[in-house]
Amino acid sequence: MADFFNNYDLGGFYDEMFSSPGVPRDHYKPLLDRYDAMTGIDEMFSRQKAADDTFINRGVTFTVYSDQAGTEKIFPFDLIPRIIAADEWAQMEKGLTQRMTALDHFLKDIYSDQRIIKEGIIPRELVESCSHFRPELVGVKLPRNRHVHINGTDLIRDADGSYRVLEDNLRTPSGVSYVLENRQIMKRVFPNLLRNYRVRPVSGYTSDLLDLLNWLAPEHVPDPTVVLLTPGVYNSAYYEHAFLARQMGIQIVEGSDLVIEKDKVYMKRTGGLTPVHVIYRRLDDDFLDPKVFRKDSLLGVPGLFEAYRKGNVALTNPIGTGIADDKAVYYYVPQMIKFYLGEEALLPNVETYLTSDETERKFILENLPKLVVKSVNEAGGYGMLIGPHSTKEQIQEFHDKIVANPRNFIAQPTLSFSRCPTICGDEMGGRHIDLRPYVLNGESIKIIPGGLTRVALKKGSLVVNSSQGGGSKDTWVLADNKEIADIREVAEDLSTTVKPEKISV
Amino acid sequence: MLSRVANLIYWTARYLERAENTVRLIDVNAQLVLDLESHQDFDDPRSWEPLVYVTGEEEKFFEIYEKPVTEEAVVEFLLFDRKNPSSLLSCVASARENARCVRDQISSEMWEVLNTFYLNLKTHNYQTYAKTGSNEYLADLKLRTQQIYAVAESMMPRTESWWFYLLGRYLERADNVSRILDIKYFMILPDRHHVGSALDVIQWGSVLRSCSGFEAFRRTQRGQLKLENVTNYLIRDSEFPRSILAAVTSAENCLAEICKTKSNPIHQSVARELTILREHLASTDVTQVIAQGLHEYLDDIQNRVAIVHRATQEAFINYDPAQATVV
Repeated sequence: MADFFNNYDLGGFYDEMFSSPGVPRDHYKPLLDRYDAMTGIDEMFSRQKAADDTFINRGVTFTVYSDQAGTEKIFPFDLIPRIIAADEWAQMEKGLTQRMTALDHFLKDIYSDQRIIKEGIIPRELVESCSHFRPELVGVKLPRNRHVHINGTDLIRDADGSYRVLEDNLRTPSGVSYVLENRQIMKRVFPNLLRNYRVRPVSGYTSDLLDLLNWLAPEHVPDPTVVLLTPGVYNSAYYEHAFLARQMGIQIVEGSDLVIEKDKVYMKRTGGLTPVHVIYRRLDDDFLDPKVFRKDSLLGVPGLFEAYRKGNVALTNPIGTGIADDKAVYYYVPQMIKFYLGEEALLPNVETYLTSDETERKFILENLPKLVVKSVNEAGGYGMLIGPHSTKEQIQEFHDKIVANPRNFIAQPTLSFSRCPTICGDEMGGRHIDLRPYVLNGESIKIIPGGLTRVALKKGSLVVNSSQGGGSKDTWVLADNKEIADIREVAEDLSTTVKPEKISV
Repeated sequence: MLSRVANLIYWTARYLERAENTVRLIDVNAQLVLDLESHQDFDDPRSWEPLVYVTGEEEKFFEIYEKPVTEEAVVEFLLFDRKNPSSLLSCVASARENARCVRDQISSEMWEVLNTFYLNLKTHNYQTYAKTGSNEYLADLKLRTQQIYAVAESMMPRTESWWFYLLGRYLERADNVSRILDIKYFMILPDRHHVGSALDVIQWGSVLRSCSGFEAFRRTQRGQLKLENVTNYLIRDSEFPRSILAAVTSAENCLAEICKTKSNPIHQSVARELTILREHLASTDVTQVIAQGLHEYLDDIQNRVAIVHRATQEAFINYDPAQATVV
C-alpha cells in the first residue's frame, strides 16, 4: 500500500476506502495498487498543487466576484477519488428514481387537487405556511405535466454505511459543472488511474439536460429555442451558468435580454426579436417576474409568469418547486412515497423532528446540545445549529428562536457522516463527505452516475458547503463489480504518469 | 446576437480606444512642453491646463484639484484617477468589466491580457510615471493597449461581435483624433507671428507623432509641417488609419457587415448618418475651416459622431420591442 496511507487514522468513523485500518474495501483495491505501481507517487502532494493551479487558470471559480478584493476563489478539488461500487449505485439509483417520482406527484397534487392534504397525510398549515408555496400556480397546466425537472438530492452515509437523504434541492441546484470539470482534471492529472477501472462517464449529463429542455417546449414548435437565464456575472454560480450554456450550445441571457410581447417571450437581438420557448432558469421564483413575485426584482422579466401560465414558454425548474425543498416538508417524503406510489422509501430520510409538533418540540428543546437544528428554508449551511459544537449562548439563541417560530425549524440527531481519505497539506486525513447526484425528470428519469462529492476540508467539520470551507472530489461510479478483479492485473503497466507541468490548459 | 452583448463589446472597444488615446494625448503634451521650455517654464500652468479642457472634464478636474494646474495633477487625473470616468484607469477598468461579461465572445486570451493590464495598472500612480520617465512610461502603455488589440485581432471570430467591436473602436477614434488635433487650439502660441516658425513646426510634429503619423505624413505628403497640411492629413487622408475620415470609412464598412443579415429599415438610418459624416469630411476645405475656426469645426465633428452613436443604440440596442421585427 502506498506509503502515504501508513498513518491514516479511521477515527472510528465509517470510512469509504478502508473497512478497518490497513484493509481497503474491494472497489478501492485497484486504486491503491495503482498508487503503489506509480513511480513518483510521492509527487502526489505536488500534483494536488498542480490541480489547484489548473482550476485557477481555467477560472473554475465560485465566489462572488469582488473588484475590491480582486480575487476569485476556487472550490478546492481533492485528488483522491470517491468510488461507488456498481451494486451500491444501482440501489441508490432506484431510490432516487422513486423519490423523484413521488416528489413530482406531490407537486402536481399540491398545485391541483391537494389530495395529500385532504386525506390528512400532510397538514394544510404546513404547506400553506411554506415560504416557497406559490398559490398563483394552483390549477396551472405545466408542459408535459412535469412539475419538477431537476433535483439535486444530498445523500450521506451514516455510521453503519447505509445511505440516507439529507435534503432535496428542487429549485436551482448548483454544482454539476464541478462534477464535469473534476473528471476532466482527473483525466489530465491521473489518466492511468482511470484506465480500465470501468468508471462510468459523466459527460452525458449536458446532452441529457438539453434533451429534457427541448422535450419541454410547446408541442407545436418543431425547432425550439432554449436559453439559460442567469442573474448575471456577479452571481456566485455564474461560472456554472456560462459553462452549461456553452456545453449545450444555448444562449445565456439575463432578464433584461428577454421581453414579453402579447404573452410570448422573445430575446432582444441586434436584428430584432427572436422567440424563446424554453428557459433553463438559474434564478429563484422570487425574482422571475416583478409583476407577480418580488416587485423590486430587476433581474427578472415582467410578464413572464403570464406567458408561462398560458403555456407559451416552459421553465426549468417549474415555479413553486421550492415547497418540496422545505425541510419540514422533507419530513413527509417517505409518507409521500407511500401515498402516491404505495411503496416504502428505498432511500430513508435522516431521522428528523419537527419543531412544529408539540411533543417533538419538547424533546428538541430538552436535547439541543445533542441535535442539529436547521432552519427550513435556508441552504448553503447557513442558519444552522450544530449542538455538540456550539456554545451555551448559541444554544439558548436557537432555543428562543424555536419557541418564537416553531414552523421555521427542524432538528436531526448529530450524524457521523462517512469519511474519505483526503489530502490535507502534506498528509492524508479522513474528512467527512456527502454526495449530490443530479436527477433529471424528463421523458424518463436520468441520473448522472455519481454526482458531486463534497468534502468538509476542515478537520472534524460536518459542513461541506463551498461557502463554508468545503471542497470536492471526483466521484467514480463503477460500471460492473465483476470487472474489478480483472482491472487489478493491469496495475503493473501503469508506472508512467503525466508530469504536473503538462497539465496546463 | 443579443443586443446587450453587442453593446458590451462595442463599449469594451470604445473604452480601450479611449484609453489608448488618453495616453497619446498626454504623450503629445509632454513632448510639446519640452519643446516649449525655451518660451515658458515647465511648471507654467499654461503647459498642462489645455489638456483638461480637451478631454471635456474640466468641471470634474477643478472639483478635485486646485489651481495652478500642475503636471502631477493632470497626469494623476488623466491616467490614474478613478473619479475621472475617462481616465486611463477608469477606461481600462470599464473595458475589463464589460469584457468579463462577454468573455466567451471576445476569447479568454483577450480577457486575460486585459485583466493583467488592469491589475498591473491599478498599482501605478504619478510616481510610477515620473520615475520611469514620461516617454518610456507612456510608450509602454501604448504597447500594452496595442497588445490587447493584437490578441483580439488574432482570436476573435469574424462574427457580428467582431464588427460591433470594430465599430466602437472606429467611432471612438474619430472622436478622439479630433480632440488630439484640437489640443493645438488650446495650446496658446506665444505670439501670432510664431505661426510657421521653427516652434510651430516642432509642435505640429508632436501632434503627428502622438497619432503615430509623423513618418507616414513625411512619406506621403510633400508639404510642410504646418497647420493646413497637418490638419488636412489628420482629418481627411484616406490612407492613414488614424485620420478621422479613415476611421469613419472603416466604421461604415463595419456597419455594412452588421447590416448584411438584417432587413429592418431602422438599421439603414445609422448607415445614412455615417455616410453623411463621411461625405462631410471628404468635402471639407481645410483652409476655409481654419479661417472660420478649427475648434468649432472639430466640435461639430464630435457632435456628428455622437449622433451616429445614438442612432446605433436606437437601431440595435435600445429599440422599442413593441415596434421591432420578429426574426
